[in-house]
Amino acid sequence: MRYLLLNQLIRGMMKEANSRLSALVDGLLDWQIEHFIYVPSSHSAPVIRSLEAKGIPGVMANREEEAVGIAGGLALTGKRVAMVMQDNGFGNALTALATFASSYHIGFPIFANTRGGLGEYNAMIHSISDSAPDLLKKLGIRVENLGISDSVEVWRSSTSAVSKLAVIQRRPIVTMFESLHPGMETIK
Amino acid sequence: MKRIEALAILDEVFASDPLVITCGATAREMASLSRKKTHLPLLDSMGLTTPVGLGIALGHKGRVGVIDGDGSLLMGFSILPTLKAYAPKNLIVIVLDNGQHASADGMYSQANVVDIAGAAKGLGLWTAQCDSADELKKLISSREKSDEVSLIFVKIETGNTPNIPFYLADPAKLGADFIEAVAG
Repeated sequence: MRYLLLNQLIRGMMKEANSRLSALVDGLLDWQIEHFIYVPSSHSAPVIRSLEAKGIPGVMANREEEAVGIAGGLALTGKRVAMVMQDNGFGNALTALATFASSYHIGFPIFANTRGGLGEYNAMIHSISDSAPDLLKKLGIRVENLGISDSVEVWRSSTSAVSKLAVIQRRPIVTMFESLHPGMETIK
Repeated sequence: MKRIEALAILDEVFASDPLVITCGATAREMASLSRKKTHLPLLDSMGLTTPVGLGIALGHKGRVGVIDGDGSLLMGFSILPTLKAYAPKNLIVIVLDNGQHASADGMYSQANVVDIAGAAKGLGLWTAQCDSADELKKLISSREKSDEVSLIFVKIETGNTPNIPFYLADPAKLGADFIEAVAG
């Protein structure tokens, strides 16, 4: 009985999380996103799949620094481009973000799902994920947050506003967003 | 062929096209020859030259050039399958291969022990190799109406041109100039 209730609770949380990921996509569409660059992630997959389904051209990069280079190149041609990744990949991306995107004043938003929090199944991912916001801030890169407790409307409007701000400020801006692993229902 | 001779040719061939230039002595030597708003020298960011060029080629309608080095390409070798997957036909990547990290005390690069052009070809990318100015010009010209991304590996002499000053440009200015010239 207890397991049944827990499962119902998790299903409810998943539904809430998915509606917020849809709002993130809607926010990017409000901004009139033209391209997105992503590094594969199960948590960000709903965002990636949804953008693809909407016909936004996506580029899958093999590493996060590669994604920063491609996104930065597109932004230098005046395109509205966003990056989608996981927060544990910032270790790979830091040098590219600091010496290229920030130093050359190239504005584009980065949306990174968080890992290592409640519901996490990976034993070591928190060892980089927990520190990612502080590492970015130390480099002078602005970090915004979207959590499960924020409303759908906040997710949509914040996504659009952050994207506009990155272009206006000519700097990369990171939004850390909470999501649940799609396989969470099966974790006991 | 010396690197600076190859750079003079590339500056002439990509006269008004966006041209991304790898860091270190390559960027310095190009700056000593020519400075254009369509040039985007990466002052650091080793390994990022070709990814940046790919992004520019995806957003720009005309031809885009990249001047990479063997050492820099090896630092971001994962870009090669990405190039194949998205293959913008307007992108020409020139890899100046001196078999060394000439800006890092001349340490040998692994291009001495692996065939990087062969690896690119093995991934299905269009590749060509040359070691003379005439061949380089002809190869670039032959790719004018190409329907896929081009990688040209150019064998150059080791070492750097002496007495070239450090390139102390402000990257923010380089970025702003490039956007003005390319994005309008």
